[in-house]
Amino acid sequence: MGALIDGESRPRLESWLAGATGATRVSVADEGTLGGGAISLNLAVTLDIDGGPQAGRHACVLRAQPGGGAAASGMKASISKAQEFAVLRAAFGAGVAAPEPIAACGDPAVLGADFYIMRRAEGIGAGHKVVKADQPQRGLARELGRQLGRLHKAGPDTPGLEDLPVPAASPALDCVHAYRDWLGDLALRDAVLAWGLRWLEIHAPPPGDLVLCHRDYRTGNYLVKDGGLTAILDWEFAGFSDPMEDLGWFCARSWRFGRHDREAGGLAGREDFYAGYEETSGRRVDPQAVAYWETAAYMRWAAIAVLQGRRHTSGEEPSLELALTGRMLPEIELDLLRHIRGLGLTASAPAAVGAEPSGDADEERVA
Amino acid sequence: MRTSPDVQELLSIVAETFRTDLLPHIPPAQRYTALMIANALGIVQRELAGSDEAGHAMLAALALLYGEDADDSLSGADLRQRVEALQHRLCIEIAAGDFDHHGQDVLMECLEEIVQARLGIANPKLLRG
Repeated sequence: MGALIDGESRPRLESWLAGATGATRVSVADEGTLGGGAISLNLAVTLDIDGGPQAGRHACVLRAQPGGGAAASGMKASISKAQEFAVLRAAFGAGVAAPEPIAACGDPAVLGADFYIMRRAEGIGAGHKVVKADQPQRGLARELGRQLGRLHKAGPDTPGLEDLPVPAASPALDCVHAYRDWLGDLALRDAVLAWGLRWLEIHAPPPGDLVLCHRDYRTGNYLVKDGGLTAILDWEFAGFSDPMEDLGWFCARSWRFGRHDREAGGLAGREDFYAGYEETSGRRVDPQAVAYWETAAYMRWAAIAVLQGRRHTSGEEPSLELALTGRMLPEIELDLLRHIRGLGLTASAPAAVGAEPSGDADEERVA
Repeated sequence: MRTSPDVQELLSIVAETFRTDLLPHIPPAQRYTALMIANALGIVQRELAGSDEAGHAMLAALALLYGEDADDSLSGADLRQRVEALQHRLCIEIAAGDFDHHGQDVLMECLEEIVQARLGIANPKLLRG
């Protein structure tokens, strides 16, 4: 990806920012690309704002939709940068540890791409580093549950979210249709995916609460500093859905980074995460519904991996990382089959899903 | 006409040289990319060496599901086409609801065999893990 901020675009960006922040003058220092941008481009920038309500120096991130690429080759799961900014504002306003949104720009004349600017948070995000701890990180798991509970207070009536699409009838069946659409003819060539889709169709829960879901709420997408949460990132998949969708996604094996004994994101047992969620959401966790949405999580991740692989094979975005993501399909399918099989075995005792032994006991069993 | 060394032998020495001679000296900033290259080379090596083996494992699982005899004489493109045809048939039956009420255990067995065969190429570390 070419440089978004260069000698030519910088003055345009600075004068637009001055207008957007009510400043007399803004200068922008570009500190280079940040990691974790498989879909969006993240630039570290420092703003020096003269005058206006936000005067001062701010460490920020400029998040852009790179020209054409993802949108053109069908990364259908993600929302526009303007929508993402609206979601960030709603989340931040609800007291969620989302990065503070500063300003969004939909004028292609400024940088040639839609983008927005948010405050930069400190901490590490890489999943394999976050889960590296001798003891289960129970407090962090509980805090992530609390944060999700707060987010799920927002819904289609929340001001500022008018542009986000609302699922037609059933969030679950809406998801199945989306996954089938993303997979295309692969749903008729890969029997594992065909079975995953059918399973989700047969077991779809009836429509219930509709809330603002992050839809990529997982280890790897939040920052941790000194064992504490500093920010929840990557809001580009957000949308309205069944609240249990985010819980199933968070607990899926795919995001435990090898710490499979700690089912809540590789951090701790599910009970800590669930307890935090119940504290702030005003809603009971339904372990059976979470188990359904965990099946959906494997299907969704499989479909996204297929789309990512296709971004490479289409020739539009040659990338080794995208190509290898496409080749992850069998391991995601293995998790899917294992999970469905596990549900079959425990179908008569659904309470067992949420009540696994403590992390310590699990650790001994694994060792 | 056989070219010597053949493509597998060539790839094998490329992968080996990359892993032992280059990988340890790659600067940290490029290490992730280098590891992705090593990973991709491994996938290509395993697919070149074992795609027929994986195909036969998948064919055997599908044949068992359908109560047919697996044809051991197939190889290469013929084998791939046979596996694809059976998977396509299975996909249509699954989508039509043929496994909604019975046969799920047999189906799950078959699907797991298929996934294991593909994992043997994509990421064998996860096999039977």
